[in-house]
Amino acid sequence: MPQTAMGTLKAEVKDLNFYYGNYQALKSINLPVADKQITALIGPSGCGKSTFLRCFNRMHDLYAGNRYEGEIGLHPDGVNILNPKIDPIEVRMRIGMVFQKPNPFPKSIYENVAYGLRVRGVNKRRILDEKVEQALRGAALWNEVKDRLNNLAFNLSGGQQQRLCIARALATDPEIILFDEPTSALDPIATASIEELIAELKEQVTILIVTHNMQQAARVSSYTAFMHLGEVVEFGETGGIFTNPSKKQTEDYITGRYG
Amino acid sequence: MAPDKGVQVMRAMIARRKRWDVIFAIVGLFSMLGGVVTLAALIGSMAMEGVPRLSWDFFTSFPSRHADKAGILSAWVGTTLVMLVTALTAVPLGIAAGVYLEEYAAKNWITDLIEINVTNLAGVPSIIYGLLALGLFVYQLDLGQSIVAAGLTLAILILPVVIVATRESIRAIPGTIREGAFALGATKWQTVSQHVVPYSMAGILTGVIIGLSRAIGETAPIITIGALTYIAFLPDSPIKSEFPYVSFEWLSSAFTVMPIQMFNWVSRPQEAFHVNAAAAGLVLIVMTLLMNALAIFIRYHFRKRIKW
Amino acid sequence: MEPLDTHISRQYNVELENVRSLVLQMGGLVEQQIEQAINALVQGNVPLAEAVIVTDYKVNNFEVTIDEECNQIIARRQPTAGDLRLVLAVIKTITDLERIGDEAEKIARMAVRLAGEERPKNNYMEIHALGTHVRQMVHDALDAYARMDTEAAVRVAQEDLKIDQEYEGVMRQMITFMMEDPRTITRVLNVIWAARALERIGDHARNICEYVIYLVKGKDVRHISLEQMEKEVREGN
Repeated sequence: MPQTAMGTLKAEVKDLNFYYGNYQALKSINLPVADKQITALIGPSGCGKSTFLRCFNRMHDLYAGNRYEGEIGLHPDGVNILNPKIDPIEVRMRIGMVFQKPNPFPKSIYENVAYGLRVRGVNKRRILDEKVEQALRGAALWNEVKDRLNNLAFNLSGGQQQRLCIARALATDPEIILFDEPTSALDPIATASIEELIAELKEQVTILIVTHNMQQAARVSSYTAFMHLGEVVEFGETGGIFTNPSKKQTEDYITGRYG
Repeated sequence: MAPDKGVQVMRAMIARRKRWDVIFAIVGLFSMLGGVVTLAALIGSMAMEGVPRLSWDFFTSFPSRHADKAGILSAWVGTTLVMLVTALTAVPLGIAAGVYLEEYAAKNWITDLIEINVTNLAGVPSIIYGLLALGLFVYQLDLGQSIVAAGLTLAILILPVVIVATRESIRAIPGTIREGAFALGATKWQTVSQHVVPYSMAGILTGVIIGLSRAIGETAPIITIGALTYIAFLPDSPIKSEFPYVSFEWLSSAFTVMPIQMFNWVSRPQEAFHVNAAAAGLVLIVMTLLMNALAIFIRYHFRKRIKW
Repeated sequence: MEPLDTHISRQYNVELENVRSLVLQMGGLVEQQIEQAINALVQGNVPLAEAVIVTDYKVNNFEVTIDEECNQIIARRQPTAGDLRLVLAVIKTITDLERIGDEAEKIARMAVRLAGEERPKNNYMEIHALGTHVRQMVHDALDAYARMDTEAAVRVAQEDLKIDQEYEGVMRQMITFMMEDPRTITRVLNVIWAARALERIGDHARNICEYVIYLVKGKDVRHISLEQMEKEVREGN
């Protein structure tokens, strides 16, 4: 994997353009993603941060008329995951995602976590049990649910549901996890526990997080990219961005000024 | 302390605006009563006429020239078997078509056209289906005036209902659930078969049963393909005592159904047959209500697990 | 550093503008304290010196008030970037201003003691010169703060060197006095205390200049040479 001043890189975005039909939503984006670090994407609504995030697991392939240009190199092998010859399913098996609103399946807690493994053809009870426990522990949910694994996931609280979704993503040992505003539907206490969890997860997995809560980006991330109108305006260490940004647009946004 | 003038004016204005609530509530109540009272009167008069005629013999006797000995055995057995064929054909076809249109088909003007057609088909008069079936099933495919021909006819009749119900309930599944499955690396087939269809089953089955309860009362297309009005025998039994234990002979049997039996009795001059018709009508209404109850139960049962 | 009055929240503009102007008011008061303390000493004016001593509580009150305002802004607004640097710079600046106030009070106390003593022939000319210089430096530092002028801040910081040299000169002169006439030792020691206080005020003024540079440029220029400081400020303009 390439070494840089930022340390080891897990992924490199090079000249990425993205189009919804004729509308260009992302404009020549370049961004390094540090391995086992948290990179936050911030910016005003409609700046393209979620669109950018969803390029990483080719979510846009689900809908007609979307087009990528440029590349996202995923290390260690350096494969361009945007290459049309690469099956999006392959990409999604390497890169997991947690959504804005908790979206557990209407199944049991156990089956929710096991689903990613079942998709991959794992059906041995022993392996599933082990992986489910490991993932739930990883998502700091095991102690709360270990006695009711067969209960419906909908019976959990919002914060627990979101941790279940994190466990679901963790169960298949992804290389990167994408978080798309993971706490926007949660109260401050649940938000704090999710943030704590994300901070712990960076020991084992590279994390990209989109958030409209700037303080959240400041709290959890090592690197921050500020996006505006489909472009990355500024990228750098989070500490620098929040105390002394180099671009006026960034400063205006993070200090709450007229853009 | 008396409220000041401003507050009094405001209160008067609120009272004036709320008058419309009262007016609409009264109009609405009477409109609703109009429908409910008529229906209750119909069912009530039929029940008063028919209930005394209901007996075990009524269900286990074939039709007869003597009104007091006549029964609905061949009719309810015929209805049940026709419904069986209809359900077994329309459900898989309708779900498959609905899933294909919603999940697989490209979104372009052809699918738009198909969608408009499917929706319109649900409104085509049922006798048109009868004519189609007469030409296609009875003559072209040479199925004759049989249970299978009737079942297929009614299946086509309710297919649009099943397709529309399937599509509607698939659309009700939040996109994030679908995306959640895809994000874990599921294929389209895994997503559809393990998530989309199971989660929309409540809506689909509700649609199926509503379709079937429409089909159970249909007379016109069945008469068109030539159901008999007087059947004094039962179709061949589907279950046999010797190998291979099942038989499909019954599919090609001649048959009659409840509404045709009723029609037959009503058109006779003797008053006693009219009583028979009322009793049979009561049975048909109960059958329909039971199916609707089943639909409500299924919806409740499936929805219990799903909250979004 | 963006203008303060462009936040989407107007209330936030008001709060930031308020602390900023409170600092300038506090600076004005401190400047006045220095001037009066020096005048009291030079003129042997005891009532003026006592007025300076009594007024120090006002400086302290300013510090407490501004500190509380800053706490509230941090707790409620979670300031970032330039706003964060402004609040931090204000908190540090008022600490230095409060110390300057204490030094002025110290000079006033010396003035009271010296008033009873025999006055030297030169009428404390050296203290008057050093004091005027230091007061001007504090004035210029606050001016640089008010205008967020980093160039001015560097120039004012450089003045501190001259103050130090002037202070050395005063010290040598005082030592000479003491050697010439040991009877003056007690009096001269008090003068040395006053000179020492003025030198410290110069250091605090330099600190304020450093905060101005941090506030505007986001660069920490403490504990580095003046040449480096100048380079940092010129960079990236």
